[in-house]
Amino acid sequence: MGAAFDTIAFKGSLCDGCGDCMTACSSAKKGASRLSIVPGASEKVFELAICRQCGDPKCAMVCPSGALAKDGGSGVIGWDADKCIDCLLCTAGCAYGGIAVDPGISRVAKCDMCDGDPACVKSCPTGALEYRKAGSIYNEYGGKEDLFVPGLSGCLGCNSELIMRHTMRKIGRNSVLATPPGCIPGMGSVGYNGKTGTKVPVFHPLLTNTASMLAGIRRHYDRIGRKDIVVMALAGDGGTADCGFHAVSGAAERGDKILYICVDNEGYMNTGMQRSGTTPYGSWTSTTPVGEHMKGKTQDAKNLPMIMAAHKCRYVATASTGYMEDLYEKLDRAVEASFEGFAYLHIYSPCPTGWRVPSSKVIEACRMSVESNFVTLWEYTPKTGIRFTRSPDNALPVSAYVKMIGKYRHLSQDQLDHIQAKVDEQVALLKVMAADSPPPPAAHRPPAGSSTPAGGETSQTSLRREISRN
Amino acid sequence: MSDVKESKSKGGKVIVCDGNEAAAWGACLSRPDMVAVYPITPQSSLVEYLAKFIAEGKMDAELMDVEGEHTVLSVLHGACLAGARTYSATSAQGLAFMFEPYFRTPGLRLPMVVSLVTRDAVSPTCVWGGQQDAMTVKEVGWIHMYCETQQEILDTIPIAYKVAEHPDVMLPVNVNHDGNYLSYGVARVELPEQELVDSFLGEKQVNWHACLDPERPMAVDPLTGGAGGAGPATFVRYRKGLCSGMQSALTVIEEAHADWGRRTGRFWSPLIEEYRMDDAEVALVTIGSMTGAAKDAVDEARLDGRKVGIVKIKTFRPFPIHRIAKALSRVKAVGVVDRAVNFGWNSGPVFQEVLAALYHLPVRIPAMSFIGGLAGADITVEHFARVVDRVNRLAAGEASSLPVWLNEND
Repeated sequence: MGAAFDTIAFKGSLCDGCGDCMTACSSAKKGASRLSIVPGASEKVFELAICRQCGDPKCAMVCPSGALAKDGGSGVIGWDADKCIDCLLCTAGCAYGGIAVDPGISRVAKCDMCDGDPACVKSCPTGALEYRKAGSIYNEYGGKEDLFVPGLSGCLGCNSELIMRHTMRKIGRNSVLATPPGCIPGMGSVGYNGKTGTKVPVFHPLLTNTASMLAGIRRHYDRIGRKDIVVMALAGDGGTADCGFHAVSGAAERGDKILYICVDNEGYMNTGMQRSGTTPYGSWTSTTPVGEHMKGKTQDAKNLPMIMAAHKCRYVATASTGYMEDLYEKLDRAVEASFEGFAYLHIYSPCPTGWRVPSSKVIEACRMSVESNFVTLWEYTPKTGIRFTRSPDNALPVSAYVKMIGKYRHLSQDQLDHIQAKVDEQVALLKVMAADSPPPPAAHRPPAGSSTPAGGETSQTSLRREISRN
Repeated sequence: MSDVKESKSKGGKVIVCDGNEAAAWGACLSRPDMVAVYPITPQSSLVEYLAKFIAEGKMDAELMDVEGEHTVLSVLHGACLAGARTYSATSAQGLAFMFEPYFRTPGLRLPMVVSLVTRDAVSPTCVWGGQQDAMTVKEVGWIHMYCETQQEILDTIPIAYKVAEHPDVMLPVNVNHDGNYLSYGVARVELPEQELVDSFLGEKQVNWHACLDPERPMAVDPLTGGAGGAGPATFVRYRKGLCSGMQSALTVIEEAHADWGRRTGRFWSPLIEEYRMDDAEVALVTIGSMTGAAKDAVDEARLDGRKVGIVKIKTFRPFPIHRIAKALSRVKAVGVVDRAVNFGWNSGPVFQEVLAALYHLPVRIPAMSFIGGLAGADITVEHFARVVDRVNRLAAGEASSLPVWLNEND
């Protein structure tokens, strides 16, 4: 299995062209910036020129002196000043503008990822630049045993299957897994007609009693001294938020030591996309259809993770497969907490079939849901309270997310405004509750696309103009 | 296992207690690993006793104080699949709320024991005795045994574990006692020694067939069925296996009662009890605590020279068809007294069962349905005297297809 590497990621839709990253790089490297924000296809759209640390680097291929080489450990393409003969062939070889001449020294310079702590990322006020550690996850877990059969019959691009495989690969065999009725057993995890789909003990609880059955299992294993077993559920939102909620709430109140993961695809997708208590306002489902007299769901979703935080569970967190590093860290903490008390992890999970999203866009939908604050990433413990693990500041308008999702395509402006208002309300409430959270990456900035206050041009806006002209 | 010599009585301490406490003692002596509790009239004091026993150290079990009966049975399902012996008790609405996991228990072949403190079910709103709750769930696949006295309640609970965990049975058991009359009625009860019960029960055997254990990974209850072929065929084998376990239970219940009798000196009738049936010309069929009053009424009728007997049903599921048919084979008429209603047949549910058993006889014996004791009503000796009169008239040819509602004009 080949190694994967951490990387600097750029989200053009969040970039407002301020250029802070270039300033930070220039300052850190005491020379010209090794990345460039450049105007994109249209106004207010920017692109990033930076070394991609390619797997088969063309710069290194064309280098006649062997001055450029990919490091097997970090994945960074290093430049050896002693070997370089300043022929500049590499600058022509790279299609991404990732290596360029630093006029100050008249030699090439390129991004070295600042030893895993890039200055540009830290300086970005909008979150357009992120340092992704998913490569480390791949290296650490990619070789571990997949605990499900290869042929699970999930829909093409199923995000729940992604969650299942990642979760169990990480947690391993010393576990007992409940998969209550829904897509997760429906795709074959508990198997059919006497055959299993999972390599760990797995069962269908009733839709209504997942947490209760797990509580009984855990209590008995604790009684007989087998305290290291992870007793856990991969449950849907229906069995968690609706008819099984009494069991979840009861187990949380008693502090039963279980790991309850709710895979929230916002409805009863397995039975044909009916509405659940977590289906968002305005959403089309097969029981909140769109017609002359009804335009999708008329109520707001219940916020289950906040309800669970109100139970003072040992650990509560939200997560998204669009942010795998965050998800893995939370899985770690949730598993650990589940040996001490009730641990609840709520993973938002777009359903390509039921939400009418192309399967190729599912992860993008995950990310957009977070970038627009439609989904917020936070965690809770009784000691720390709620803490954002990704700042909700500088969010995109919620329409940027909603327009990706087919189940919202009928929304009127009024409905969109309602959703935006509810998202803002929700974030405001979370912020009040998350008083102890760390500050956002940089000072608060208005979201992209909002108008500049009248009177006086800031240096940032002038810089943006500067870049636009180039 | 039978290392105890036969003796007339091996009683330990004697206490005076009500039926709910007797049930709690029966559970305590059976050493469950876990009890799950949720209160409901008239069961509440039973689970309070369990909590008290655990708090005082008399009982070493995990106490799961849960948020409702649905979870009561659900935590016990989980615990049982992890290897625990389990116990709980409920009544009426509690049983209704528990129904979803209750329905599932026999199919998973979980050898659990749950007491039903029988009660009439809402509506009309009612919290008093009656057997409508237990009778409503008779087709689910649980074994049902009905007790007549406080001592029988205590003794039947260890017997129930012995039956449930028998490898030929592996089915859940309801040990039923009448709400109010038995739950709150106080009597002298002998507490067997713990060693006696331990030796009687032996090692628990609860999850050898299906478990949730990382050391024995398996899928518990995969989807079974489909449009044809292997799926539905597998399902049929599960269903037939359950029926076979039920039929095996008839023998195992008798053996377990006999074993218990040898150890304690108390030989309870395991399937049915025949009272003065040897020369009986007419018979009453009873179930549960009403039988005491029925026996008094029969004794009085006998003093008047009327040859009346009683067949009391203890084991209602599996239904002891052939025992009942045989016991009733020589009488001229049968009167079945129910404490519940079979709405679809305009009669009592036990009556319908007895009719089906009588079908196995070469002769047609007339039978009538009597319904009494609903909503906590007393079925007195006088009520039974009326039943005896009416059944004698039935034997003389005065038939009726309508039930007699014993307490209608009280």
